[in-house]
Amino acid sequence: MENKAIPATSKYPDKPITLIVPYGVGGGTDLVARLLEKRALEYLGQPLVIVNKPGGAGTIGWNEVAGSSDGYTLGMTGVEIILQPLYGQTKYHYLTALDPLAQIAELSIVMVVQDTQPWKDLDELIRYAKKHPGEIKFGHGGMGTTGHVAGEMLAKSADIRLEQVPFQGSAEATASLLGGHIQVLFTNPASVKEHVKNGTVRILAVASEHRLKDPVFANAPTFREQGLDVVCSNWHVIAAPKDLPVEVKNKLVKGFEAIINDPEFQKNIEKLGFEFSYLGPKESQEKWLTENQKLSKTVQETGILDKIKAQKK
Amino acid sequence: MDILNLLLQGVSVSILPANLLSCIIGVLIGTLVGVLPGIDTVSAIALLLPFSYGMDSTAALIMFAGIYYGSKYGGSTTSILLNVPGEAASVVTCLDGYPMGQKGRAGAALAISAIGSFIAGTIGLIGLTLLAPPLAQAALAFGPPEYFSLSLVGLILLSKLTGTSTLKSALMAVIGIMLSTIGLDSLSGISRFTFGIDELDRGFDLSIIAMGLFGIGEILTAMTHADAKPDIPSVKFRDLYPTKEEWQRSITPMFRGGIVGFLVGLLPGPAATISSFISYGLEKRYSKHPEEFGHGAIEGVAGPEAANNSAISATMIPLLSLGLPFCGATAILLSGFMIHGITPGPSLITERPELFWGLIASMYIGNVLLLIINLPLIGVFVQLLKTPLNFLMPLVAVVTLTGAYSINNSMFDLIWVIFFGILGFLLQRAGFEPSPLIIGLVLGPELERGLTQGLIICNGNIWTFITRPLAATILSLGFIVILYNFVTWFTKFNNKRKELDANRS
Repeated sequence: MENKAIPATSKYPDKPITLIVPYGVGGGTDLVARLLEKRALEYLGQPLVIVNKPGGAGTIGWNEVAGSSDGYTLGMTGVEIILQPLYGQTKYHYLTALDPLAQIAELSIVMVVQDTQPWKDLDELIRYAKKHPGEIKFGHGGMGTTGHVAGEMLAKSADIRLEQVPFQGSAEATASLLGGHIQVLFTNPASVKEHVKNGTVRILAVASEHRLKDPVFANAPTFREQGLDVVCSNWHVIAAPKDLPVEVKNKLVKGFEAIINDPEFQKNIEKLGFEFSYLGPKESQEKWLTENQKLSKTVQETGILDKIKAQKK
Repeated sequence: MDILNLLLQGVSVSILPANLLSCIIGVLIGTLVGVLPGIDTVSAIALLLPFSYGMDSTAALIMFAGIYYGSKYGGSTTSILLNVPGEAASVVTCLDGYPMGQKGRAGAALAISAIGSFIAGTIGLIGLTLLAPPLAQAALAFGPPEYFSLSLVGLILLSKLTGTSTLKSALMAVIGIMLSTIGLDSLSGISRFTFGIDELDRGFDLSIIAMGLFGIGEILTAMTHADAKPDIPSVKFRDLYPTKEEWQRSITPMFRGGIVGFLVGLLPGPAATISSFISYGLEKRYSKHPEEFGHGAIEGVAGPEAANNSAISATMIPLLSLGLPFCGATAILLSGFMIHGITPGPSLITERPELFWGLIASMYIGNVLLLIINLPLIGVFVQLLKTPLNFLMPLVAVVTLTGAYSINNSMFDLIWVIFFGILGFLLQRAGFEPSPLIIGLVLGPELERGLTQGLIICNGNIWTFITRPLAATILSLGFIVILYNFVTWFTKFNNKRKELDANRS
């Protein structure tokens, strides 16, 4: 992908555009990309070709996007573009090497316990944890992921000790919660929705700025409401390499804005369990910068960084 | 009776023309996905998801499920004919299926594999129909310490599946475990043993190694007998199908495999692959002629192919009744459900009975369809073996390499397929069997994960593992088997020594 030729901007796009998904086929990011693919021809004038480049927690795919400049190679990004450079050396500093075109959706984190646990609300759990430090184990979908970060944020801001148990993805973590092997779970709302509805799982708090719109979760208070500064979410953003010609970038921004704001697209995003949340390039860029500041502070203060650095040695 | 009524209602839903058509399309695509190495169920469903929006949700789900269980029917085809596993779950079928093909019994192996798949798939479905919610709950009692115990016992019991030397097998299993640690650790997210090469972060895909060790390895072996003509005797129509003796030997393994597969399918992990190995191990242990295993024992095809199909039915249980996908293929099925506005979970059966029972009824129908599709295909597939080796082998190489590339769209993977191909060839020559390596590769991560998570849950105290009733039971079973093996080995050794002593005096 060393094609550095500047595209003829007036004719752009005159061939299919590649959208790199840095994860495997069938994951959440991949499905969002495939939803975009469906309407691309109509709004971008050319088809989108989805190419999965999994590996390296996303970095293999993003390196390819950052290394291209022809305007025909875009990529799907998530909060990992901020976290990965914090955790260790990456080939590019993605925040400066990539340019957001549009945010599509947000993925919040919720904190849940099994209904057989004695804690009716967050307050009771914190009081218990203060008396029994380290006894409560919380599960999450992998070290350094948003679920893990949110759990450590809670421990830090409530000044309690929680032991973290990493799982491979949210399904295994949820199974372990339902089987009573762990007491608390930090996960995305979609994976526990049916169990909350059914009453087998109780939601204690939501780690976002506002309460969730979904009626099943609407009654659940945020951490902020309960006086704790725990806000952590992932997102799906389409990004391009930095320094595309303005006309090319504008065409892409307009095209994606139209696709994303199509009501049917929006409905499908919500069906997949994501919160629809469109942000333009400027707002997305601002969000990246504030998230970067916040997260680099958080991973340092909570000791996640030390833990990861210690293991990397 | 209640369930029978509901199932009958389900049948009435699933035989609606649109649903029946989706079922046929699904199982046809599934068969194709299974036959072609490298194309897996996950990619096939993901590629079709966007096209399914316009479809009725029941029809779409019937189609996706059809692709999923259909793929396990075709997986054995290339294993038996070419020694290239079409699916990870059919790796073990290479061990005896391919030798059967070499002896001119490919047709019988394919037929037994299809019928075994049908019988076991149906056993799994009956379990799914009758017991889904209670079984899903029961499986939740298994936590990380139990997964650890299961994988440990599994590794010990299964590593000596083939070959004669325990030491060589154990060595291969250990190499398999070592290979499984390469790449991004699934729990900590740390890359290990990658020498800073980003592409190694992905780790070795099971299919890449299996295609190399078995497929490319076999091509290289064939090249060393360059003048060899395919010595497949011209197969008469009657010979395509199993003999009475082959039948009798297969029937028990099919049922045993069906039950094993079903139980394994309830737990997280690559159930279809693991269950096929367990079934193979069981059959070898119970067989009256274990020496035939590895040289074309029909039980070694019947059991595993049955097991991987009932495992598929069983993986639908946690998915449908808890909404939990325990493997990649059920995860993409879950996405397929959600995109059609259906969230599987405890309330699915009561809220959408027509959909739930329609889907299950369609799976019964799909299994019959798969049998009808697969049996006549056997004649066609066996013809393939008449191709002269100097045409067939390059073709196999192209298919294998294309399949390997398509897994991650990576040239890097191609280098590794060839590397493992050469390794497989050399190992074979040196008398090492590649299958324990695959077992180490599959169970290694489960073992490690179970241990890490289990230790955290048990506050770092490993003795808790033997005070948890389930884990203790599993571990002691393993211990008894090892003790038994040791005692028999020792008595044999002792008898031999006495014999020698007697001869000497």
